[in-house]
This record gives sequence, C-alpha cells and structure tokens, in this order.
Amino acid sequence: MFLRLLYESFRRQKRRKSVALLAIALGMSIATAMIAVASGIGDKISQELRATGANLLVTPIEDTLDVNLGGVDLKPASEGAYIPESDLPKMKGIFWGHNIVGFVPFLSAPVTFTKDHLKVPAELIGTYFDQPLRYGKETFSTGAHSVNRWWQVQGEWPQDYPDWPQGQAPAVLVGSKLAADAKIRIGDIVELSGRRLRVSGILNSGGAEDSALVAPLHIAQELLGRPNAVRRVVVSALTKPEDAFARRDPNKLSPAMRDRWYCSPYANSIAFQIHEALPNVRVEQIRQVEQNQGKILSRVSGMMLLLTLAALLASVLAVSAAMAATILERRQEVGLMKSMGASNAAVASLFLTEASLLALAGGAIGFLAGTALAHRIGQSIFGSSISVHPVVLALILFAALAVTFLGSAGAVRKAMRFDPAVVLRGDA
Amino acid sequence: MSRLKLFFGLLFKAAWIRKDRSLTAFVAAAVVATMATTALTVYFDLENKLSREFRSFGANVVVTKQGSLSTDELAKIDSVLGEKSEVVPVAYSIGTLDDGTRVVVGGADLAKLENLNSWWSIKHGLPTPPALVGARLDAKTGGAPFSFKPGSGSKAAMIVRGGDVFTSGADDDSRIYIPLDEFIHETGIEPNTALIRVVGRPVEIQSAIARLSAALPQLEVKPVRQITQAQTAVVDKTGSVVLASSAVIVVLIVLCMAATFANAVFERRRDFAVMKALGASNATVNMMFAAEASLLALAGAAAGFVAGSAIAYWIGRANFNAAILPQPALLLPVMAGSVALALFASAWSLARLQQIQPAGILRGE
Repeated sequence: MFLRLLYESFRRQKRRKSVALLAIALGMSIATAMIAVASGIGDKISQELRATGANLLVTPIEDTLDVNLGGVDLKPASEGAYIPESDLPKMKGIFWGHNIVGFVPFLSAPVTFTKDHLKVPAELIGTYFDQPLRYGKETFSTGAHSVNRWWQVQGEWPQDYPDWPQGQAPAVLVGSKLAADAKIRIGDIVELSGRRLRVSGILNSGGAEDSALVAPLHIAQELLGRPNAVRRVVVSALTKPEDAFARRDPNKLSPAMRDRWYCSPYANSIAFQIHEALPNVRVEQIRQVEQNQGKILSRVSGMMLLLTLAALLASVLAVSAAMAATILERRQEVGLMKSMGASNAAVASLFLTEASLLALAGGAIGFLAGTALAHRIGQSIFGSSISVHPVVLALILFAALAVTFLGSAGAVRKAMRFDPAVVLRGDA
Repeated sequence: MSRLKLFFGLLFKAAWIRKDRSLTAFVAAAVVATMATTALTVYFDLENKLSREFRSFGANVVVTKQGSLSTDELAKIDSVLGEKSEVVPVAYSIGTLDDGTRVVVGGADLAKLENLNSWWSIKHGLPTPPALVGARLDAKTGGAPFSFKPGSGSKAAMIVRGGDVFTSGADDDSRIYIPLDEFIHETGIEPNTALIRVVGRPVEIQSAIARLSAALPQLEVKPVRQITQAQTAVVDKTGSVVLASSAVIVVLIVLCMAATFANAVFERRRDFAVMKALGASNATVNMMFAAEASLLALAGAAAGFVAGSAIAYWIGRANFNAAILPQPALLLPVMAGSVALALFASAWSLARLQQIQPAGILRGE
C-alpha cells in the first residue's frame, strides 16, 4: 500500500516532483562544483606561483661566501666548492621526487670574450635550458626554460647537447644589457677561450643574467675547466604552506611524528630529503618565494572556501524553499489522507520517503553536473581539469538528504497541524 | 474605493493570506540577490586585495644607475611614486674580513630594509642593531664578534658585536648590511641602487615604472619580473575562477529559484480561474500577478543586497584582514535582475495557465 501510494505520487505529480528534483540537482551541482574548485584551486594557483621561480637553493656545504655584486658573481672558478652534476638526477629519487617540478644548475665565473677583435668582460653562466635527464627508469627534462618562466628570449633557446656536433659553434644567449653595450645581435659569433660561440638569442630576465653570457652547462664547464661541476642548483618544488609543525626539528620528533613530518610535502621536509640524497650539499628555502607563496595560497584558498560556504548556504535555502513550497501546496492531499484515517506518522513517512528518493536522485544528477562544471572551469582557466574526488559523491548524497529533510520537515509539520475539514473546504 | 487603492488592496491581501507562498517567493528572490551581490562584490575588489598580499614579496621595481644616485634623483623617485610606495636606497662594496675573505657589504636604512624584506627570518640581537649579518657569514664567524673593512678605501676596520642575524635563502646570506651614513662615511660610496616596493595592481606597477622612466631617463628602471609576472598570473587566474564560480552559482540558483517561483504562480491557478470567471481580462490578471511578483522580488532583492554586502564584508575581514566594502553600483543591476527573473518565471506559468479554460481549473482539472 505504502509503495503504491509512493509510486502514484510520483506518477501523478510529475510537475511538482520535477521542480523539486530540479532544485535539488541544481543546488547539489553548485555544491559539487564549488567544493571541487575550492579544493583544487590550491594546486592550480601553486602552479601559477611557480612563475616566481624556484623555492629551494642547493649549494655545496664546503662552499665559501658568495661574492655577488650587481648580479655579477665575482668569485673566480678556482675558488669555493662544487656539486657533481652527475648526482643531480638523484633528487628525483626522494620520497617527494614527483613534487620536484624542475631544477636548474648554475656554474658561473667572470670571463672576457672577444667580439670583432674587441675584448668584452662579462660573466659566463652555464645552465640547463631544457636538458633531458634520466633517473632509474624515469626520463624527464628540466632547465631554465620551464623553471625560470620570466626569462624572455628573443630568438631561439640554445640546445643542451652533451657533445656539440663537430664543426658547429655551440649556441648561447646574450643578456639584453650586454648585447646593447657590446652591440651583439642574434646570429653573431663571439669567441671565448679559443671556442667560437653562436648567439642564438637575446635574453631579457630583468636580473643579473641581462649582463651575462648564458651558455649550456657542458659548454661552460668545458670553457671554465670544471667538468661535471655546478656551483649551485635552484629547485622548484610543489610544497605545502609552512605551519608550526613544518618548522619542528625532525631529529627531535617521535618516530610517528617524524614519519608524518617526512611524508608531508613541506619545503623543509623536501630540503631534508634532498640532503639525504646528496649529503655534501646544503639545502635552504628561498624564503622570498617559499614564505610568500604560502601566504598567497592561503588567501586564495581561504577566499574560495568562504565563497563555497556562502554558495552552500544559498543551495540549502534554495532547496529548502523548493521543498517547503512543494509540500505546502499538497495540503489538500494531507487533509484527504488524514480524513481517511491515516496517522500523522504515516503521512510524514510518505512525504519524507518521497523527499529521500528525490534527494538521492537529485544529488546524483547534481554531482555529475557539478563535476562537469568543475572540469570545464579548470580547462578554460588553467588549461587542465579540476578533478573531483569520489568521496565527494558520498558527501553530496548525504548533504542532499540532509538539506531535503531540513526543507521538508518544517513544511510537513505545518501541514500536519491543519484541520482536515478546513483544508478540504479550501479555507486553509 | 479608487481603482489604484483596490489594486494595491488586492496585492496586499494576496500576499498576506498566503504568507507561506509569499515567503517562499521572497526567499527565492533574496537568495539570488544575496549570492549575486556576494560574488560580484568579492570579484570587483579581488584584484586590490590580492595585489596587497603581493607586498610581502618585497621590492618589485629596482632602479640602478652607473655611478651613484644623487639626493635630487632619490627625492624625485619619492615624489613620482607618492606615499603608497617604499623606496630603500642601497650602496654596495666589496669588503674584507680579518682573514682576507671577501664579503659583500651593503649600506642601507636597516629598519626600512628589514621591513621591505619581510620574509627574512631574523634572530634579533641588540635593540638597535649595528648591522644585519647574513646567516652564512654568521656561521663562518661562529657567531662571535668580528671585524671587517667595508671597502678597499676604508680607513679602519669596523667591529660587529651582537648584530641581528638574518636568513634569506639567497645571496644576501653571505652579506653584511650596515647603516647607510656609516657606510658612506667609511667607504665614500653613495647608493647606486634603489629597491622599490610599489603597492598596487599590476597595471599600477606598470604605470609607476613608466612614470619613473619618463621622469628620470638617465636611470635604469626595471620590474622584478618574476614577482610582477606571478602577481599578474595569480590575480588574473583567481579573478577568472571567482567570476566563473560566481556565474555558475548565480545561474544555477536563478534556475532553481525560477522553478520555485514559477511553481508558486502555477499553484495559484484557482485564484486565476476565479478572477477570470468574475470577468477579469487577461491583461488585468497578468498585471496583478506581475505586480505581485515584482514587489516580492524587489523586497527580496533589497534584503539580498544587504545580506550579500554583509557576507562580502565578512569574507574580506576573515580572509584578507580588510573589509570588502559594499558596491552601491551593484544595487540597481541586482534589483533589476531580480524583477526580471520574477517576471520571467511568472510569465512562463501565466502563459501556460492562459491555455486552460477557467471552468476546467475550477473543476480541478
């Protein structure tokens, strides 16, 4: 009997049920889309903040003080310590190796090169531009092209050949200020330590590199007589904003807490793991990038969270209003059922079962629509989709049930209070 | 009773007798208006609020000169940029420690430098520190007092006892900064660099650079591109996400509420039929329903605008520590949008009702 009443209610009141289903589905699609966007925006903005450059600096433990003035490294190549270049791929083997989106090694020293028989003093910087590397079975590319995204090259980026083809002058970049001062143009040939170098592009970085000759690392190593050596490495890693726990000393934590610290992608724990992989290096946070990125991320995520809360509240009100309206319009039905002997509990259970079925169907439809919306927002703004965790489905179905019950409960209680005779006369 | 009085009397009665139905329509309009106001108010102030957060990245413009910056040039930089920007002139030299190790020495207003580089982690020593010592330099000296010659032309060695030790994670960690007047006195070198923090939106930073370049063509004015580029990207992308999310929220809530509103009108088919049976024309009935819907929508929109502005204000206080102020310019579009929504939703239901004979409705068909 109960099931038959339920079935007939859905069959005979298609419009009312459609309105309620639409309201729940729309409300839940807002909730799904906003939860997905709010939880995914941290990663997306973190990727955008990578434009501020690397967030970790790797230097040899035994290194002497940096003598860098006006962006020019005044320390001669013979001074200080070096990191073996061949060790660098080991960084991808750490626990958080997949969070290391790139690294750029640097080797620099003051040199004098020749351009049209004129001697030009400048800094030679050797680095990776887009160097293919291998660690274990994994192959990846890294270099200034992807990490230092603010570098603008007019012309072509040089190739990082480990061995330049015989008879071909290796390609280099010339900083914009140096190019203007020494009247160097794209395609020109400069000579350094008896080696001819072809200028493939003019680099504009807004920093010290604008006054330097920037060459593939292997060429710089060869010219400076430092094979397999790099002076420092900047690492770009996806990290979690620093909190009080991140600042704890891992050596003073209990084993369980240490595991938690180690397995959290804090800049400190990634630095710790790089140091484990390369024991002769010092790894430090580039605080300007790391500390401030955390602040920006927390502001953006916080704002999206609050907007999501406001949207959820609006969805709750919208669904509640729709459910309340649907039930209140059914006063006469309630009056009829009660005059035929139905108890308040029986009527309420019919209404609430109807509401539950609508909630589950609306929640499922809303989840699918919200997932599609979040995907679309991610694709159109960030060029990559925002994925929705399957656990959100359970959350949305639960929320749909709760909201629908909340919206229905008051209206059902009110409908119960009417006198059946008055309702059936149409006076209520 | 005048016609107008009768009209308003009917409107009031219709709303009062079916309070729950009126309340539902009012809530529908208010929710739409609240979300539209919240989302748009946050969106319009977002660029300002996020740009303010980028202050903490420090200098976003660097001015340099071959030679040294004159007092007039520094004063002109200040006057061109105005009070919203901070300018820290810095002079550099290569000094030497006792053991002959070369060290970069900077001269600057230490308090201003510390404030500009707010990300530096500083271990404070004396209340008025004689110097700011980089962490790597401090490690080399073992944290003990040390002496150094700030420049090749220095007359005497300077001794540092109990300076503040800072960690930046960059080249600065190998440096020592001393007060600018002492630096000039010891080395005779004047500042050739000005670190500038322009507080504002990306376009305002670009405009400040253009003004500086035009006013002081002899100086090299450069943006710190990695910061300005990241600021532009983050502000643009976050703005787009907020706008897209707001559009999704508002459109879905509008649809949801339009359905509720249309349903509320449709449920009044008996009223409609009675009016028609008593001789009311379609135009009169339409006007009655439209006026009732518009009044409820206007009241809901006004309440929603107040609630939405309050939520946006709260979001600003809670998240950015600065209020997002109400945008009076939004009031009119929000009110107009709500009325349009109510009229659209009512018109759809009325159009359907007009296809049915009043007698049929009264018979319960």
